[in-house]
Amino acid sequence: MRKRLVKSILYGAVGLLAGLTAVRPAAAHHAFGSEFDANAPVLLKGKIVKIEWVNPHTWIHIEVTKDDGSKETWMVEGGSPNTLLRRGANKNTFPVGTDIVVDGYQARDHSEKRANARNVTFPDGRKLFMGMTGTGAPDPNSFPDKPKTTDK
Amino acid sequence: MRIVRRSGWGILVVVTLLVAGVAPLAGQNGAYRAPRADGGHPDLNGIWQVMNEANYDLEAHNARAAMALRPGPYGPVPAAQVLALGAVGSVPPSMGVVEGGEIPYKPEALAQKKQNQENWLTRDPEIKCYLPGIPRATYIPQPFRIFQNASQIFFAYQYAGAVRNIFLKDPGPAPVDSWMGQSVGHWEGETLVIDSKGFNDQTWFDRAGNFHSDALHVVERFTRTSPDVIAYEATMEDPNVFTRPWKISMPLYKRQEKNAQLLDFKCVEFVEELMYGQWRKNPLSR
Amino acid sequence: MRNLILAGIPAMVALLICAPHPAAAQAQKAPAKAYTPKRMADGHPDLQGTYDLATMTPVDRPMGAPAAYTPEQAQKIETAAALQREKGDESISGNRTAPPKGGDGSVGAAGNVGGYNSGWLDPGSKLTVVRGEIRSSIIVDPPNGRAPQMLPAAMQRAAAGRARPTSDAQENTNDPGLEKAPGAYDDPERRPLGERCLLGFGSTSGPPALPDYFYNNLHQIVQTPDAVMILTEMVHDARVVRMNGQHPPKNIRQWMGDSIGHWEGDTLVVDTTNFTNKTRFRGSSENLHVIERFTRVDDRTLLYQFTIDDPETWAAPWKGEYTWPATDGHIYEYACHEANYALTDILKGARLREKEQAAGKTSR
Repeated sequence: MRKRLVKSILYGAVGLLAGLTAVRPAAAHHAFGSEFDANAPVLLKGKIVKIEWVNPHTWIHIEVTKDDGSKETWMVEGGSPNTLLRRGANKNTFPVGTDIVVDGYQARDHSEKRANARNVTFPDGRKLFMGMTGTGAPDPNSFPDKPKTTDK
Repeated sequence: MRIVRRSGWGILVVVTLLVAGVAPLAGQNGAYRAPRADGGHPDLNGIWQVMNEANYDLEAHNARAAMALRPGPYGPVPAAQVLALGAVGSVPPSMGVVEGGEIPYKPEALAQKKQNQENWLTRDPEIKCYLPGIPRATYIPQPFRIFQNASQIFFAYQYAGAVRNIFLKDPGPAPVDSWMGQSVGHWEGETLVIDSKGFNDQTWFDRAGNFHSDALHVVERFTRTSPDVIAYEATMEDPNVFTRPWKISMPLYKRQEKNAQLLDFKCVEFVEELMYGQWRKNPLSR
Repeated sequence: MRNLILAGIPAMVALLICAPHPAAAQAQKAPAKAYTPKRMADGHPDLQGTYDLATMTPVDRPMGAPAAYTPEQAQKIETAAALQREKGDESISGNRTAPPKGGDGSVGAAGNVGGYNSGWLDPGSKLTVVRGEIRSSIIVDPPNGRAPQMLPAAMQRAAAGRARPTSDAQENTNDPGLEKAPGAYDDPERRPLGERCLLGFGSTSGPPALPDYFYNNLHQIVQTPDAVMILTEMVHDARVVRMNGQHPPKNIRQWMGDSIGHWEGDTLVVDTTNFTNKTRFRGSSENLHVIERFTRVDDRTLLYQFTIDDPETWAAPWKGEYTWPATDGHIYEYACHEANYALTDILKGARLREKEQAAGKTSR
């Protein structure tokens, strides 16, 4: 009887713990690991030249200046734009010319200047895409103000 | 009070029957008066489809050998890629649906349209089964269904599973561009007027290369003119491409079959060989 | 003209019958106020609206969890998730370096290359509450809250299916070395339906319609006497439920099956069959039969219940339920196929992997 009591307490604790850890999503649009190369990390610092507000993935085009001074444009893959739209974002929220910093991994085809947008921040480290607790009603204040300083 | 109420209902019944009996099916000036939907407006519910050649080419045209042509010794002949289709790939003739006959392009835009036509196979979004946009979704020759009641109006198209919700209260400017645009509807008497903006520049109006920019603004009018027909008009305005607004018109016919229903024409799976076949592990010959 | 009068008579009779009778009204007035929904003109409850199905409650019950959490347990779970979200929003270094070579250790769909910043996600912040119970799972039958075991023959069928084009591959299978599921990247037809942009990932449209634990859980219901339309945001799928209709012939198959509906009191019952043999909900056969029930429980909430019936896959039908809360948000276009760069990159990436492996260039 005591064994059963201990067991049920244990199960209870395990269950609570399982419940406490955030539910890991069962599925996603696709596995990023099949599209991007874990052995090809990138850090991109540059200006937004275009945002494709499309599904299934938003693509942010960023122009980076290489060490030799030449410029190249990368595309980084974000999530679905619809969540952001519901929080008040629109095509003008992140204007062309905004400085951003993106870290991620390059597409498996290294001839493609594409990467996943693992973290997208302003130069001061604040995230462009922030979550929200709420009812889903649009809130234009969901998005951080432009940074006060820019740095390359 | 009870007696008054009962006789009140009785009077209501009698009056309604009288009105129903006296009011003709025709409106005041003899025009067809459609039954009312939930909400009191003409009922557009049902499965509708066009019966014309608008999707081939909005403008009046003679029959053509193919949608993709190349110079031949005595005039254009089908391009190599479509040759095997023979007559099945040809274009039927049409009196056109454009009021005034021609789409009023700006000169540089007309040059773009001609280039589109010459590069039809690689440029027409219909070939990749992309969403058709408005008004093309109306006259792609596949059925679509209108859902209408007092609080909502919704269109579901069989082609590419395209959909559009018609806002009855203007939600403000569309936050981003889309293939099907953002539509706001209101009633003007017997006519449903739908005003659409927020289009991207990716759709075409037909298979003849007629195109627009992301400034496109479309106003459509739907009026039932008989039990089985909606008179449809669409006015296009796009100062980047056209010198003035222009209009098309055509009847929409109600599908009569008792078992009419929308079926799957997604049709993403039909174009995967075209779009991704070269990346198969064992590609087929192309 | 005569037709109009004749058509009008039943309506007038109905009006007379339904005319409020003072004495009768008093007799019907019940002391405890049961919820009575707003009704459409045809008398049926108005189920319309835009709903956000996002919920923290998983489809299958976590091991050891009770069927219903106490409010304290629920609060702990929801607060933990909110804290995780806040953490995800925290600033990081603007002068950071690139992530580690060899991957960042992230699992599941994140595939060792990192997932999304939390701002992209809208996974639901609350557990679903049904009949006052804070549910730990959507599945309620079997009583352990988890989907039943597949029949042995069905398991064999599913395994054999993996050798052919399949759509029930899990989108979150991370397989950089292409070993786990040989052939899974050979052709676009072998990729999951969500990756091909044929249907939303997870079973977001279904049926059964399940929450997607990432984002875009909005659904819209438009109700007319002849048909009820259920729009799933991802991938702009409009399921038309033909009221009192009949299923088409057996050879007519649809990705979301064919849905017909009827009313049982104030509950809309939807019956769906005629699925394609590629839709495969959790390994189901093409004879999958889904029954759904939609009931309005308050002005902002629908109760959604489903029964999965497929004797070729499971010994007995199994059931789930959760609520659909109304949202003020809009459904936006989810065009998918029109900008599906990812699928090209995935297939190209696999071809490159094979080349590299053949040349002995890598051991990834």
